[in-house]
Parts: sequence; C-alpha cells; structure tokens
Amino acid sequence: MTQASPAAATAPDPDRRLADPIQMEVFSNRLLAIAEDIGQILIRSSFSSNIKERRDCSTALFDAKGRLVTQADHIPIHLGAMIGAVEAILARYPFSEIAEGDAFIANDPYLAGGSHLPDISIITPVFHEGEIRFFAGNIAHHADVGGKTPGSTSGTSRSIFEEGIRLPVIRIARGGAIDEDLLTLIAVNTRDPEERLLDLRTQIGCNMRGGEMLVALVDRMGWAAVEQAIEDILTYTARRLANRIGALADGRYRFERAMDDDGFPGEPVPIVCTAIVEGQSLTLDFEGSGPQARGAINLPDSALKASVYYCVKAVLDPGLMPNQGSIDPITIRASEGSIVNPRPPAAVAGRAVTSNRLCGAVFGALYQALPPEEAMASCNDSTSAVSISGWHPARGATYVYPESMGGGAGAFADRDGMDAVHVHTVNSTNLPAEALELEYPLMLEEYALVPDSGGAGRFRGGLGMARQIRIMADGTTFSARSDAHVVPAPGLFGGRPSSVTRIRRNPGTDAEEELHSKASGLVLAAGEVIRVETLGGGGYGDPGERDPAALARDLAEGKVTRATAERDYGADMVERALRLRAPSRGAGRAGLHSIQEAR
Amino acid sequence: MYRIGIDVGGTFTDFTLLAEDSSGSGGTPSFFKVPSTPADPSEAIETGLAQMVDAFGYAPDAVRFLAHGTTVATNIVIQRKGARTALLTTRGFRDVLELGRQARPSIYDYRVAKPPVLIPRDRRFEIDERVTATGEIWRPLDEDSLAAAVDELTAAGVEAVAICFLHSHLRPEHERRAGAAVRAALPEAFVTLSCEILPEFREFERVSTTAINATLGPRMEGYLDRFRSRVAGIGVPVTPYTIHSNGGLMPIETVRAAPVRTCVSGPAAGVVGAAEIGRVAGFPNLVTFDVGGTSTDVSLIEAAEPLFTNQRLVAGYPVKTPMVDIQVIGAGGGSIARLDDAGALKVGPDSAGADPGPVAYGRGGTEPTITDANLVLGRLDPDCFLGGRMTVDPDAARRVLAERIAEPLGLTVERAALGVIRIAVANMGRAIRSVSIDKGHDMADLALCAFGGAGPLHAAEVARECGFARILIPREPGTLCAQGMLLSDISLDFVRTRMCDAMPGSWAEILGLFAEMEEEGAAFLDGEAVPVGRRAFRRLLDARYLGQNFEVSVDVEGLGPDDLADVVRRFHDAHRKEHGYDIRDRAVQFVSARLKAIGRIARADPPEIAGGASVEDAITGSRPVYVDDASGWRSATIYDRTLLPLDIPLAGPALVNEMSSTTLILPGQHARADRWGNLIMESA
Repeated sequence: MTQASPAAATAPDPDRRLADPIQMEVFSNRLLAIAEDIGQILIRSSFSSNIKERRDCSTALFDAKGRLVTQADHIPIHLGAMIGAVEAILARYPFSEIAEGDAFIANDPYLAGGSHLPDISIITPVFHEGEIRFFAGNIAHHADVGGKTPGSTSGTSRSIFEEGIRLPVIRIARGGAIDEDLLTLIAVNTRDPEERLLDLRTQIGCNMRGGEMLVALVDRMGWAAVEQAIEDILTYTARRLANRIGALADGRYRFERAMDDDGFPGEPVPIVCTAIVEGQSLTLDFEGSGPQARGAINLPDSALKASVYYCVKAVLDPGLMPNQGSIDPITIRASEGSIVNPRPPAAVAGRAVTSNRLCGAVFGALYQALPPEEAMASCNDSTSAVSISGWHPARGATYVYPESMGGGAGAFADRDGMDAVHVHTVNSTNLPAEALELEYPLMLEEYALVPDSGGAGRFRGGLGMARQIRIMADGTTFSARSDAHVVPAPGLFGGRPSSVTRIRRNPGTDAEEELHSKASGLVLAAGEVIRVETLGGGGYGDPGERDPAALARDLAEGKVTRATAERDYGADMVERALRLRAPSRGAGRAGLHSIQEAR
Repeated sequence: MYRIGIDVGGTFTDFTLLAEDSSGSGGTPSFFKVPSTPADPSEAIETGLAQMVDAFGYAPDAVRFLAHGTTVATNIVIQRKGARTALLTTRGFRDVLELGRQARPSIYDYRVAKPPVLIPRDRRFEIDERVTATGEIWRPLDEDSLAAAVDELTAAGVEAVAICFLHSHLRPEHERRAGAAVRAALPEAFVTLSCEILPEFREFERVSTTAINATLGPRMEGYLDRFRSRVAGIGVPVTPYTIHSNGGLMPIETVRAAPVRTCVSGPAAGVVGAAEIGRVAGFPNLVTFDVGGTSTDVSLIEAAEPLFTNQRLVAGYPVKTPMVDIQVIGAGGGSIARLDDAGALKVGPDSAGADPGPVAYGRGGTEPTITDANLVLGRLDPDCFLGGRMTVDPDAARRVLAERIAEPLGLTVERAALGVIRIAVANMGRAIRSVSIDKGHDMADLALCAFGGAGPLHAAEVARECGFARILIPREPGTLCAQGMLLSDISLDFVRTRMCDAMPGSWAEILGLFAEMEEEGAAFLDGEAVPVGRRAFRRLLDARYLGQNFEVSVDVEGLGPDDLADVVRRFHDAHRKEHGYDIRDRAVQFVSARLKAIGRIARADPPEIAGGASVEDAITGSRPVYVDDASGWRSATIYDRTLLPLDIPLAGPALVNEMSSTTLILPGQHARADRWGNLIMESA
C-alpha cells in the first residue's frame, strides 16, 4: 500500500476557477444517481418497516480524504453521523491497514460520531486500481438496539449505557466476507435479532453494490476527470454558499428558545444561538445554552452539526447540494458539558425534540440577518412522541403503537403558517385511523385541527393537531416523550405566540387529568381516553394589520373562535370581519400556490 | 371501416386513423396533428376530424371505433377549477382532508406549501355515526345530525357532495343512507360516495380521491356532452371511449360517474401502445422514454405488461385509482438552461413550455432551451417543424446560447449547446436508472423505447448514459399516445378491502368478494355489449407479512377454495420479486382483493410493411451535425423514415425524419427498420 493517509482534508477554495462546469454537472448527476441507487437497494432489500416504509435511512459518498461528496435526499439528521463515522475511521485506521473488501460499522455518539444508538452506519472503502478512492456510506434507524426500553429511545434514561449496544468504529467485514461472530454479537444484544441480522446484511451488501458502480464510473471517465469534477463540485458549492452568506447583513444575531425541562420535572432549559456574520464567513455559537440534561434529551456533536447544516440549507438555499463545500464555510461553537454538546455518558436517545428546538433557535438567529419579508416566525419546533402498548387479545401478543405528532409552522410575511406538519429534522407520516384500529385494540375518536392554536398576527401561525384515542382493553400502558407543554412558539415582528401542547386523560369528564410531557408507564383501563393537542406556529406582524377578510375566513372556518379573535384582534376588527361575506378557499378558486403537475 | 385514436395534449391534439377492409384485416395508419384548444378541448377534436376528411378522404359514417385520451380532469385539478363541493364525514374527522399524513411537502423549503384544501372547513360537515374496524356499528347513524347537515348543504349552494365515513369500505350502509338523503334534497348535485369510488382502507387517501371526484364531476359532465355532440355532428356513428389512467378504455357513462379515473389518461395510452408494439416486435422488457415539451415520462414494461400503481399525487393531491406507473421528470424540449451565480450550468426544471417556447420559435422566449441547443447542433432540421408547417429561427437560438452560456463560460457555442444536452441526458438517465433499479433490473437486459416529439432525438445519448444495448423507436413516435388508443381494451377495476390472516375461512371469504366483483364486472361488460368470448377477469390479492405496513399484489388467477397453500406460496414469490427476499415461516395477512374486468376489442393484427426499395431512395440529403466535442461537426445523412427499406442497417451519424419526430443516430451506432415499421437501434 503506497497511498498516504490524508493528514487533514483541505477546505475547498471558493475562489478557484471551475475547470469544467459541464463535466461537473454531468458527474454530479451520475454520483447522485449512485447514492440514490444504494438507497433504493437498501429500501428494497431491507426488512423492517422503519427502513422500508418510513424510509428512515440515508446514503452518502465520501472521497478518500473523507470529504462528503454527495448525499441522497433522505433524513437531514443522518448526515452528521455518517460524516462522524468516516472521521472516526480516518482517525483510527491508517490507509495501510484498510484493505479492499473491508466494511466498518459504527453507532456511538461519543466514540464514533454517531447521533443516537439506533442509527447504525456502515462505511465501506472503495478501491480503484489498488488505491482508496471513495467511501460509500449508509445509515439506517433500527427499530431496537437493546437498552432498558423497547425501541431504545426512552425519554427517561440517564446514561447512554441504558440506551443499547455501543459500537465504536470496527470492521464488520474483511475481504468481502461479513464477520459473522461480530454480527451475531450485535444482533443478540437487540430485541429482534432476526430483523437486525437481515437489515445489517442488507446495509453491508448495498454499499458493496455502490462500490461496484463507483468503480465502473471511474473506469468510464478516468480518475483524472473524476478527481477534477469532485474539486469542481466542492468549489462550486462553497462559492454558492459563500454568495448566500455574503448577501447577509454583517452582525451578531441572537435568538433564544427553550426546552420545557431537562427530561425530568424542573425549570425550562434555554437553547441559545448567536449567528455571527462577517463577510462570507458564518459562525453559529450556542453559548448561553443550558447545561447537560439529566434526561435523554442531550444533543451529541454529530446531531448538533447535522441540525445546523439542515438549518443553513433551509434558510439560505434549499437547493444547496449537501457536500463538504456546504459544510466547511460554517463554524460551530458549543461548550462542552452543555445540552448541545454533552459529555459521555450523558443519555441522548430523545435528541429529536432538542434538535428541533435548536433548529428553531438557528432559524430565528439567521432570519435576523435577512430582510424581514424573507423571515418566517417560529414553528412548533417540537415533536410529541406517544406510545401505547398492551395485550392484543386477537393476536395473543403484546403490541406497541408509536405515534409522533407535529404541529403548526410559523407564519411568513405574505402567508399564514402551514397547519399540522412536522418541522425541521423530523418529517414522518401519521398512522391512519383505519390502519390503527385494524392493528390495535384502540379507537381514534377525533383527529382534527386545534382552533386558536396558531399565534395571531398579520399572518397567523399554522394550527396544531389533536388526536383523541379511546382505550378498548384494560391494562393498557401509555408513555409520552413530548415537550412544549410550557414553552410556546414565539411570534415575530409583533405576531403573537402559539398555544402550548397538552396531553389530557379523560378530557371533559370529572376524572380529567393533565399529564406531564414525559408521563411514563401510565396504566389505563378500557373506556379511558387520552387526548393530545399539539401547539401551533408563531404569528407574523401586528394582529391589527390582519386583512379582515382573512379573519372572516378563519372565523367562518372555525379555525379561530370569536372569543379569541376579540382578544387578539380586537372587537372592532371582528365586527368588520363579520360584516364581510367570508370567501371560501379551496376548489373553485385559483390558488397562489406552486403547482405540482401530474404530467 | 375506420378506427380513430385521439390524444389531446397541452399543445397539440394528435390523431391516428386506421383504415381496415370489411373483413377487419389489413390496415394502414395515417397520422394527423392540430393545435389544441385548451378552453374547450373538444373543438380541436372536431377540427381534426373534419380536416382529416380532406387530408385522407375517410368517411366519418364508416368509423366503427373512436377513443380519446384527455387531460381535462388533470387540468381541472391543476387549475383548481373544480365545482363548489361539500363533504359529509364521520364526527371527529372533518379535518382529515386538511391534515393529510402530516409530512410537509419539501423537507428544506418552507415556501413550498401544501396544496390548498379541496373543500374548505366550513363546507365539511360531521355526522354522528361510527363503524368499527371489524365492520360493527359502534354508534348508529343519527338521522337528526344527517338532516341538519343536509340543510346546511342546501344553504351552502353546492354543486357537488363528497361523502366519506370511516370504515365505510367494510360497511357502507351509513354512507348509502347519507347519499340517498343528499340526492333527495339536492337532485341536481353530483354526489360521490367513497364506498363506490374507492372501497379501500386508509381514510386520507380515500377522502382525497372522493373529494377530487366530486369536484371534477359537474365540469366533466359538461365537457363530455360537448365532446359527444361534436363527434356526432361530424357524422361519426359510434359512442366514443375515453382512456383512463390504467391504460384501458372506459365508456362515457363510467367516466361521467368516476372522472377521477382519467387523471393520467393520455400518458397511460402511450405506455400501453409501447407495451403492445414491443410485444409484437420482440421486445417484451422495456423502459419507456416519452419526451415532451415540458417533461419526460418514464415507465417500466415487464413481459409486455406495463407496471401499475394504485396511487400517485395529482397537483399535490393523493389520487388512489389503478394507474400505469409513470415517473415524471421536469426535463423536456422547452426546459431552460441557465448559469447560476456560482458558475454552474443547470437545465430545467423551469420550462419555456409551449408558450413562449424556445427562443427559436420567435414567440418571445428569451432564455435558451434544449430545443434551441438541438438546433445549434444541427440535430433538428429548422425546415421540418410540424412537417414544414412551422418556421423557426436557428440563428436566434445560436445568439442566445452564445450570449447566455458560451461566452460567460469561455466555450464555443457548440460546446455550450452540447453541454446543455449532456446535462439534460444525465438528468434523464438518473430517473431511468431509478425506475429500473427500483424493480431490480439491469439496464443491459432492457431496451429503451423512445417516443414523444423529442424522445428519439435524445435516445442515442440516453442509451449510452444508462447502458441500454438496444433502442426501439415506434413509427410516428410523436403520436404514440394516439396510436395506443387503438391498441387498448375496455377495462374497469374493482377493489374490496378485507384485512384477515391467511386461513381457509378468510380465503373463502376473499373468493366470495372476487365473485361479487366479477358479477359487477360482468354487468359492466354487458352494458358495453362485450361478447362472453372476449371477456377476461384478472384477480389480484394485496397481501403482506404480519406486522408490515405495505402490501404486495399477488396474481391469484385460477385459484379455488382448496388452493390456499398456492396463494401463500405465490405471495412469498411475489414478495421476493418485489423486495428481494421472503420469510417463508412468517404469518401472511390478506388486505385487499382487486379485480379487473376486461373486454377485448376486436382488431386486426398489425400489418407488416413492405419497406422502401433501397437505402439510396430513402436519402433526402445530408447536414452537418455536431456529434461530440472530440469529433466536432460531421456530415450526417438524412433519411425519410417512410421510405426506409427493411432490415438494412443505417450507420451514424445520421438523422431519420418523419412528421412527428427526428431520430438521431450517433457515430458507432446502427439503426434498421423492422417489418412492423419500427426503427431498431443498436447502441454502443
């Protein structure tokens, strides 16, 4: 082996002239096609519904210097963990010790740049004519990796040792053959070993297929052309991001959000982002964020980075290609021992809510550097995961029903916020009532928008959602990993804050009880009812500037009640609104929205 | 005797006229095109039918078959011009239509909004009633709440009503009672019941499909009436058919009740046509590549059968009806090439469309398009647009490419123009790989079937990009959708959901559902006067492993009450084919039974053609064509496709011209005409 290990990856220079923009674009498509093909093969060949149906997996390609070259468009938070795993490989193994046919496995946030233990990365070196030219990577969320709770994402674990099997970067294959002993060891430490074996084998196999495609591409184009195209892609992306940052107003912009508590009852924990813009450089500093949490809501390094990369792309340039060029220009600072940079062995399984709240802080800071008309008010910046489990009489087995609920999005300068969506690093789908009731002894009594949940404003925040479930069998257990029961989504430029999330047991009865956001292991009897109402998004601009016709429509549609409208918009405007005939939206009127054509 | 297929596109309305002798054999196709009339698409149909009398001397009263593909339904949805509609639904669920599945449309871009809700909240009414997941009545239908809702409907002045109750696919009686009450109170309204349009579980997709059908109903009725009377006015004596999204023919009365089933009408006919042409020509496994002005449609054909899907988004709304599985890419002849602020050249998805169109059309386009690039490279003949009926300005194309792309990049105009094509081809190649790899295919074992106006122009390069060895180019590829209408059969799809474990009792129940659907299918075919000998009923069972949330369709054709083991075995096999593995010892669950009733249309076998006398006779000239950056300009021979002799290989560089398209053959590639009128290209 003559190839030298990379000492330090060289940052792309945005001022370098592109060698061949046409070749770059063609190559970029071919490379993305390979990353997408690996992802399709993974989804097609995997077993668990987490990968197959929810597509909770991602793929990426790196060059031999460990620089991210492309990522297929799947799950934003996965990006950081694959970058972290490749960094860990390069730190631990000199190239002289990496051979063709090797594959590496990793998941640990502290030892291998992972994001939480259920996300397992497989990284495979790709050789061409004896030299390492690429690393092919994929990552998948496994339904269980052991630990104290089924699903390995308990909100109440206090250390990573309670969260499942920890994998530093280690070889899982040598010479193209899987290390069966090691694979078995990993599988038996999880609750469904058969499923783990099948999915991990698929993850390893599809990287090998990806490697073959990469070799064919290098054969076809020649290494010199490929190398030049990679440099062009990274240079181009860095320049494009530099242009976007350069268009921001120089300055320091601070935005603060907060978690309700640190995973156990207590005071709100601040999450603070200061965006520092100087010419074409951007620093995001999280100084002022709260200390490391007692509960499982800590955000480890790679999840912090992935969240930040997501935010920069979303706010500054949604079309930006995810590669090293979009990463290197950004500096991230977070104090060790804080909730956004915890020390081992702090628990991290429930990092999703923290990631979303952090994104809310980054969005809020970055929008201050943009003209006001481009800003969006805060979104719900949360996700309420609930889990109901019990005995399934017809199946003669226990069941677990997980559901994750979004809420309202923030209002813009020219439109109301989207109702009832997941935001930021979460974008999963619901389980339909008709599927839910076929699967579990539960009945969905209501699935609806929550009136008055969006913050008032010139444009209104999106509405949250309500889900009310009737328990049909005794001895059913309920747990929540929720937040934003205390802290709402703030409004912007005079817009009002949203509602907060509420979880109630037996609402509207004498036995009504408000539950804590991390309520755990509650045992319910047949006939009891659980109702979750999630928060909306923040409003934009002074409510007094709202178009009375828009208020009239909200009132006619029952999205805002009269009492709340009088409180937020004033009795005069409500009077004016009621005098207007409420125009209907929807079918029969041309929309202002972008149109996705069928053909 | 004549058979006519018509495809109404956004820009042109295409016609295929097939003359048959009295015995129903023989038959030479003629092709025709007129500009579309978007305000009333039936106007262009009338114009074309009339002009073809002069052009081809056919007698309208001798037409014994006429079918059309239409974008009327799709356009109503896209332009949101549907009827004023209300929804009746189960108490607690009026917001399902608005909540959707709670995923946002774009992960990164918050300005990409959900499409506006089809029926606003104040026209969505809740009724006290509830059926359970086992089909039992948990809460009886409350007549007072129904009466109150019907009063509100009347006051709201709606033209259409969608009715969708939870679990109505298991127990439709509440929905039917509500439907009867609405029809009694609003006899003029167009009413759609979810248990009739889509008796399948998953409420959001069902209510969305039901709502779209209701909003389409009144507008579609008006269009169908105009269409019928115009066709009759020309003197065509037969009742016309419409192609629906699964590529089959549907009688007008069925379209009237279920317009949502025509959402991908035209493109589906092209795929059906390609499958049939491929079967006859010996290419049963194909990827179709249909390049139009603004987009490219790609689909996979296995064993001469198009692949079907049960769901797609139409203008952002889920529509769940059986459809030919087509992937759409935002790249077509009108796609715009642009340099961005960081120095990259991007092609599409923005398009100059048909209006203003490419710069060379001289209708106000200011940005270079793929068509402009092809003109600069000599690949399109400026004198051959629409058979010479349309003038274009290649110099304008050259100027704009020089100014906007070549000069800023420091390239020659040719290199810049070829760059635009190479990037578009790489884009298209990604989508083609995706439809093939998704089903586990290797491109080397498939042929590329190129059609649409611009498909044959890019097929040579796309085949090289993706690794196809052979390309099939049907005759007059710009009108393949219209030709496909003449190769299709009458069909209607039925579905029933019954979720149950795979046991003898449940299989018997599923067979009962099939029998029920077959009875309905037979009644439908009776209505179309299809003779018993021309009928077929296809049975598919959607099933899954216990615990899965996705289903696999299993062909259960010919299996009876004692064949449960065979059903399960076929499921394992289908699962392995679809997903790459099976788990033989895992319990299997049945989900939905699907039946397709088919009435085969009597038609002549495609006639073999004699072909031209010699290659020399087919040559109409030559033109310099820029083939690639290494070889630069080469002289390409130009052939008239209608004069090509059979089975003589033509070497590239060459261009083959016909009325609706141009085929490019690159150096190193060869093409020959086969006896069915296709062009077969060997790629290298």
